[in-house]
Order: sequence, then structure tokens, then C-alpha cells
Amino acid sequence: MTSAQMTQQTSEQLIKLLVAIIPNYDENFWHADTELFGAIAEFDSMALVTLIGEIEEYFDITLDEDDINADNFASVKSLTELVLASH
Amino acid sequence: MTTVSTHVEFYQGIKGPLFRIIRTPAKVLGHLLFIAPLFEQANKTRHHATRSAMNAYQFGLQSIVFDHYGTGDSAGDLIDASMVLWQQDIVQQVNAIKAKSSQAIYFSLPLSAVLLLSDELLSLADGVILLQPDFNGKRFVQQFQRLAVVAQLTKNSKIEEGSSIRTQRTEQQTIEIAGYVITPSLLSEISGQSLAKLAKITVDCYWFEWQHQQEELSLARTKQQQAAVNKSNHLVIEQVDDVKFWQATELQLAQSFLTKEQQVFAKLASASLSFSAPEVVKCEKQ
Repeated sequence: MTSAQMTQQTSEQLIKLLVAIIPNYDENFWHADTELFGAIAEFDSMALVTLIGEIEEYFDITLDEDDINADNFASVKSLTELVLASH
Repeated sequence: MTTVSTHVEFYQGIKGPLFRIIRTPAKVLGHLLFIAPLFEQANKTRHHATRSAMNAYQFGLQSIVFDHYGTGDSAGDLIDASMVLWQQDIVQQVNAIKAKSSQAIYFSLPLSAVLLLSDELLSLADGVILLQPDFNGKRFVQQFQRLAVVAQLTKNSKIEEGSSIRTQRTEQQTIEIAGYVITPSLLSEISGQSLAKLAKITVDCYWFEWQHQQEELSLARTKQQQAAVNKSNHLVIEQVDDVKFWQATELQLAQSFLTKEQQVFAKLASASLSFSAPEVVKCEKQ
């Protein structure tokens, strides 16, 4: 699998996890550039922690507390980069 | 339609009055105790537990939904609660049921509620229904503590070194996370809970696992299931391809889960009716 394919696959999976947690947006809302932290009202502390748990479980990775910052959770794209870097 | 009597009461728990709702069918074929999961998960699953409880009595199962000491509408403060207290409150409830009824007693345990399971509790039950059980107490506590980290993030847009959670722990011997004021010892108790602490699960165990049809189970979930298979003589794992209602930021119902759960209720009720043991299946994935 090429790097671009891995990025796309990871991004798509992250969107699936996000849709499950924040279901009140239609499919078109979600794409690589969708902003998350600070941009979506529903993306509160509880949703964020739930997402972290789901990411760790699905991708079989462990995120450090240092990874939990506004930059990494700014958008689907930045989150994708975090997941790929954590493998 | 079964005739139902709904009774709301405060009954005396070990440390104080506990709130519970009992739904009793005209002919009771068994008792189903809904054990709430911990902290925010209790709020996230309450609407579903109510729906399940209403379904249960349609099958002749008396359903009992209650709040742990220091939570929900029950008396007391969370800061005075402990895992042992919550477990003993359940033991007391079960013994009170057994004193008046010879019918089977089942537990419904969603998510982190399984962390309350002990060998003593399992010895009192005739069967357990597990909803996406997470037996990893350490991971549960880690996720809970992350709420404090994330709350800090929301305030400052960046995590500062040494979150407030640690400061409070040393100075006050209490921790406040997402509005929950608790003692460090409660977190230690929860953190120490795992499936490995249970000797053997000899009662009938129905395990509902949320998993999309076309996706593989994650490694962490696979490990937990395998550990449960090794622990249990009577384990049925049911795959649920539906919304994870406890995660969503809005109220959702997992209708296909409720349908599958009703099939389990029917089994439990018919087993009680015919005075025979429930069907025994060794890890049959459906």
C-alpha cells in the first residue's frame, strides 16, 4: 500500500469513528479538511476522550498525553497524521 | 401484553437510601438487575437501560434499575463511595430477592459495570448479560483521567505541564474530574479490576459485542473475548452491528441490539418456565 493510500484509508476510518460519535452531520460534512477541535460544538471533552479511546482501540496504538493537544485534534487531516505517526 | 406494576422507591442500602425502579409482571419468571456502569457511562446508557427494562418485563422478567450510592438519585456523595460498597449493595439486593423468591436472578452489565463483578456476585447470579463489556479497569481509569487533561486543553487550547488532577490528588486527597469528586482510592480500586481477578464464570453469560459486519474485531477486544472464553463454561457472543449509543453526542437507540436482547430475555424466561437450565453454548459467535 502506498503512503497516499494509507493516508486515505486512515482518514476514512477516522471519519467513520467521528460519525459514530457525532452523528448529527451528514456525510458531505466530513472530509480531510473538516476542522474539529474548537470548530464543532459537539466535539466536547467527552467526545474527544471517546474518540481517543476508539482510535487507540481500532488502530491498536497508544497516545501519550503529549499527543493530546489542539494542533493534533485541529482537523481530520492532522488527526490522520497523528495516527500514522503513532504506528 | 403482560400486566405491569411499576414501583419507584428508596430502599435502605448499606450506607444510605438507594433509588430504584422495579417493574413487576403479573407472573414473575425471573429477576433482572440492571447494574449501572461507572460515572458518565451511567448517564449515557440510562435511556437504553430503561428501554431494556421495559422489554424485559414483557417477557415475564421482573426488572430492577437502581443507582449506586452517591450517584444518580441515590443518597450520599460520590466521595464516600467505594467499589466494595457498591458491590455489597448489590449483594444485599440480591439476597433480599432470594429471601422472597426462588426464581432465577440475572444481571445486565453494560460497559464498565463489569468492573463491579466479583466471585461473590457471580455466585449469586444465574446468568449475566454483558453489553460491550470492558474488563480493563486500568484503561477505564486512564480514559477517565484524560477527561481532566482534555478539559484543560479546552480551557487553554494547549495542555500545560502537570494537569490539575495531580495537584489536587496530593494536596486534598480528592480528585475532581468532569464534575465528579472522588477519592484516589476509588480510582485505585477500579484500576485494579480485571477479568483475571475472577476465578471462573460458571453461570450463563451472554456477551453483546458491537462490531460492524465487514470489520475485524480490534486486537484489544479480541483479547478480552478470548480471555472470557477461557474463563467461562457457558458463553454466547452476539455480534451487534448498530450504533454505539453510549458514545453519541445525541440520544440514540440501537434497535437491532434491543431485538437481539429480547431473544435472550425470551430464552431466560422460557428456561425459568420449564424449570430447565438455559441453553448452554460454548462461545457460539452469532
